[in-house]
Amino acid sequence: MERKQIRRRLARRRLSSVTLPALALLASAGLALSACTSGATSNGGSSGTTGAAPSAPGASTAGGTISIFVIGGKSDDPFWSKVKRGVDDAAKVVQANGGKVTWLGPQNYDNLGPDAAKLILTAKSQGATAVIGADWVPDAQDEAFKSVSDSGVPVFLYNSGGADAAKTVGALTYTGSDELLAGKVGGQFFAQKGVKNVLCVNTLPGAVNTEARCEGISQGISVSGKSTQLPLPSSSFGNPTAITQAIKATLLKDSSIDGIVTISTQDADSASAAIEQADAASRVKLGTFDMDDTQLERIKAGTQLFCIDQQPYMQGYLAVSQAFAYNAYGLLLPQSPLLTGPAVINAGNVDQALAGAKAGVR
Amino acid sequence: MTRRPEVGALIGTLGVFVFFAIFGGAEFLSSAGAASWLNVAAELGIIAVPVGLLMIAGELDLSVGSVLAASSMTLAIVSGHWGGPMILGILLALTIGVATGLVNGLIVTRTNVPSFVVTLATLAALAGLTLGLSRVITGTTSVGLKPDPTSKALFGTLISGQFEVAILWWIAVAGCVAWMLQETRYGNWIFAVGGDKESARATGIPTNKVKIALYVGSGFGAALVGVIQTILYNGAQVANGQSFVFNSIIAVVIGGVLLTGGYGSVIGVILGTLTFAIVNQGIYYTGWNSDWASLILGILLLVAVLMNNTFRRLALSSGPRSQRKA
Amino acid sequence: MTVGAPLLRLTNVSKTYVGTNALLNISLDVEAGKVLCLLGDNGAGKSTLIKILSGVHAPTAGTIEVNGEPVRFSSPRDASAYGIATVHQFGGTFPLMSVGRSFFVGAEPTKRWGPLRRFDKKLASEIAIREMQSLGITGVTDGRRLVGSLSGGERQALAIARGVYFGASVLILDEPTAALGVKEATHVLRIIMQARQKGIAVVFVTHNVLHAISVGDHFAVLIRGEKADDFRKGERTREQVTDLMAGGEAMAALEAELAEMQAQAHHDTT
Repeated sequence: MERKQIRRRLARRRLSSVTLPALALLASAGLALSACTSGATSNGGSSGTTGAAPSAPGASTAGGTISIFVIGGKSDDPFWSKVKRGVDDAAKVVQANGGKVTWLGPQNYDNLGPDAAKLILTAKSQGATAVIGADWVPDAQDEAFKSVSDSGVPVFLYNSGGADAAKTVGALTYTGSDELLAGKVGGQFFAQKGVKNVLCVNTLPGAVNTEARCEGISQGISVSGKSTQLPLPSSSFGNPTAITQAIKATLLKDSSIDGIVTISTQDADSASAAIEQADAASRVKLGTFDMDDTQLERIKAGTQLFCIDQQPYMQGYLAVSQAFAYNAYGLLLPQSPLLTGPAVINAGNVDQALAGAKAGVR
Repeated sequence: MTRRPEVGALIGTLGVFVFFAIFGGAEFLSSAGAASWLNVAAELGIIAVPVGLLMIAGELDLSVGSVLAASSMTLAIVSGHWGGPMILGILLALTIGVATGLVNGLIVTRTNVPSFVVTLATLAALAGLTLGLSRVITGTTSVGLKPDPTSKALFGTLISGQFEVAILWWIAVAGCVAWMLQETRYGNWIFAVGGDKESARATGIPTNKVKIALYVGSGFGAALVGVIQTILYNGAQVANGQSFVFNSIIAVVIGGVLLTGGYGSVIGVILGTLTFAIVNQGIYYTGWNSDWASLILGILLLVAVLMNNTFRRLALSSGPRSQRKA
Repeated sequence: MTVGAPLLRLTNVSKTYVGTNALLNISLDVEAGKVLCLLGDNGAGKSTLIKILSGVHAPTAGTIEVNGEPVRFSSPRDASAYGIATVHQFGGTFPLMSVGRSFFVGAEPTKRWGPLRRFDKKLASEIAIREMQSLGITGVTDGRRLVGSLSGGERQALAIARGVYFGASVLILDEPTAALGVKEATHVLRIIMQARQKGIAVVFVTHNVLHAISVGDHFAVLIRGEKADDFRKGERTREQVTDLMAGGEAMAALEAELAEMQAQAHHDTT
């Protein structure tokens, strides 16, 4: 039961092309979580202090009552390393004002809920003035969050949970993205480009977040067009050829399809090959959720319309900035959720995205 | 005629072809449509043929899924991430397959643990190893690769923009294996090992060596598909390949190979693979909701096995009475 | 080779499994052109003795001599290298293989085919059919037929033909008639006589006294791992042998009881 929830949370957290099939296929073998866990453990579980402490000890003694704790994923996880870049950058301001920011991450994701709950309590016991955390497993974590907010220490949710969860645990805001909304924006972008009939390729049919993505696309385009879902059965998982050929067949069968959106970057690669093999490049435009170098290159080359980024850097940066501003000056933005995505990357802004990817923040 | 193990499989293939030709329309019958199922069949077939051989010898290999992932990640890391020569990456990738096969074969023959369990263990272990090492080495789980033109031509081209060069590899692999099974003494050994291991050993057949060699074969097949997919799609993903584990067994069983060993043919496995691929891809040409694809596949599997059983029974009673009295 | 020595001689052979004696001090001579019948009830040690003769197990004590030379079999292959062929109850063949293929398992005839060697299935089928015919099996004419489609007797014949063809000098038949009907069993007994005529030493393991007496030259009776009796053709009556196999006294008691019942029945009717 709990495991299932972790899966869902993790999938929502980062719907990467790898996590999805791995989750679907290896879940029972207990490998589901290792898909996110098996990285190096050099930094996991340790609490690395980001900010003033080593470089400017004077500053922390001068002003230093502010101590922000951030609970995130393993920092060698590529997604979380981008979040951590945002945290690190925001921490510079904290540090300049004599405060400090401490990053806490689990050793692995095998027992995520209880581990995260422990980290929340660790932050509290170490005298945090603000706690930022992702609500991956509400059943396991909410009590810990509540105990922090009840003791008068402000809690900020980010990345996972949403505005409702923030209310439940007494957190001030939620900073992150929303799958349905991300889908809507993608759908609207298609509509804006004159696309009428979008195929949403779902290689993980039935999962809450992938269904939300396709549903969002459908809602977003509904004004001027429509979107249908192509659910691919498990006998195609992890086999780009089967996925490619399935998409190709659908394109050949239905010549009114003029847009394809995929739920992961690997599927986008398959869709790209399918469009080519169906000789449909002139009529079919491609978009995808998530972002990687290949998508950016295709967007730059003009063979892909867009990809949707949830901007993990902003999640870390905004959450820490918000916590600091609240601690230091009592400032609080009225928006909750404070959305970091979706950001639609297209021909118009792909160069910035490429630069950002090179810098390790996107 | 009814004596041949592939009769049931042939009926199956023709049946699903006609079915989808009717419901799939002109697109299914076009060359692009044919490419759809041929491409899928070719990649599956390169794995199913050696896996079928292993099943004729009475053993299973579930580790092919992880071998595929391990081989493609090896190629992508060596030749992509580290920028090594393509040929080195390809050779190392294939070595991974051979090595895994060797390990499977040694454990199965030395321990008497059922091969289902042994290869399930290597499936899980190798998946973990691939994931862990990929993350440690590259920090990510998907690695890109820019293959040189020669490798691209050999493994990852589309002939006339549609047909994967893997089809030729499949024909080559199937041809060699079919020859070996039907026309050499080693083929007879494989049937004997699958039919009755103890009797086979008593006649002096090195049963353990036969099994180890067959595991090496299935590992190699899976690794070859890993190489082909990596070069075709210019990169590798850790989670790739898992669907081949059961798809290959399904194809082999549809092809008339007896799950307990001792009976089957390469032509049957080829037909089984084609049947699987036609059903798996044909559904998209019908315009029906693909939610039903797995259902059709499940029914097909059951029907195929029942049909194969019937034909096997016929083969076992094919001593015509008149002939016996003569 | 020692002139006049029996083809196969066991001297004081014992086999001990953990804690129990499966065989104790068995001495046997197996002679060319003779049929030695090994009789015994279930669990008497027949299977253990067959396993020792065919090289599956090594004896714990005692010696085995082939043509007067002491040997040790470390595998069935070793035993067959000394010309000892074992045929199991159901023929020990492969039901889903063709007659030709199964006949030559492990010893396939090949012919050159370019740089490769090809399994000559045609030749294999021809030889298999020919050899079976030489044992009087005429019903099988197509070497591509599956072994599983043959009758029980035909399968025994195939396995015996195989042993004979590959030069067996000692043929061990493990309960070849047990699973067969009367007609089929008779056929197998005829095949045993044919093998005997070819100068092969046949060890015929059975618990069917009638079958044994009809073809046997020598007899050995096993009871609980020991040789209870050892005699030649004509030295015992069928009743004596049955009596011995069933454990002597128990049988005598049963016979007495039966006689009494019969007398009673006779008395009632008159």
